[in-house]
Amino acid sequence: MLVFTRRRQEAIRIGDRIEVRVLRVGRDGVRIGITAPPDVPVHREEIYEEIREANRAAVAPQVDLSALAERLRQP
Amino acid sequence: MRTAAMPVPVDRQPPTDDVREGLARNAVSFPDGIPGFETCRRFVLLSADSLAPLQRIESIEGPPAAFLGIDPRLLLDGYRCKLTETDLRALGADGDSTLLWFAIISEVDGVLSANLRAPIVINPQRMIGRQVLPDDGLYPIRHVLTTKA
Repeated sequence: MLVFTRRRQEAIRIGDRIEVRVLRVGRDGVRIGITAPPDVPVHREEIYEEIREANRAAVAPQVDLSALAERLRQP
Repeated sequence: MRTAAMPVPVDRQPPTDDVREGLARNAVSFPDGIPGFETCRRFVLLSADSLAPLQRIESIEGPPAAFLGIDPRLLLDGYRCKLTETDLRALGADGDSTLLWFAIISEVDGVLSANLRAPIVINPQRMIGRQVLPDDGLYPIRHVLTTKA
């Protein structure tokens, strides 16, 4: 892993299209601004991981499909 | 207890060439895959009267994967999820396009829930789909539907 020391308002460039800038440094957190082209997805890691886990748990659930469908058809 | 990443049960006959061809023609491409299934790039939507309002979203390329989806608006009145510029561009859609929305259904320890947080959105005109991951966290990942009977 590449490790840099950056101060407030200093940035790192990844390739020629992505910039990661330190906006504010607090006691408990760092505020970071990311500039990236629209085709590069940017997510907080924990959100991405959460969705990934949910998807894995969702693969073809072992449910009684017709009973579930029936229930869902009711208003 | 169900664990994550269980193999998909093979409960069907292998599809004939006709079926395979038909599926390929109706495939929806997911250029970015789906988190956890990044190499699944092509899915088909399968519906049946007995299944309605559920639909099966099934991978036809890469590792086997099949999801159950339901329009989140059927689960929650007034459900709305804002698509970003990136999402619209990826879907080849604009603000006026009619899109298909699916909340993925999962079962953990006998409890059924729908993922309202990160719906799958499909642009039927272009046959492109993607899973949207909004950062706002307005809706839950596990919206409980019912406990298993």
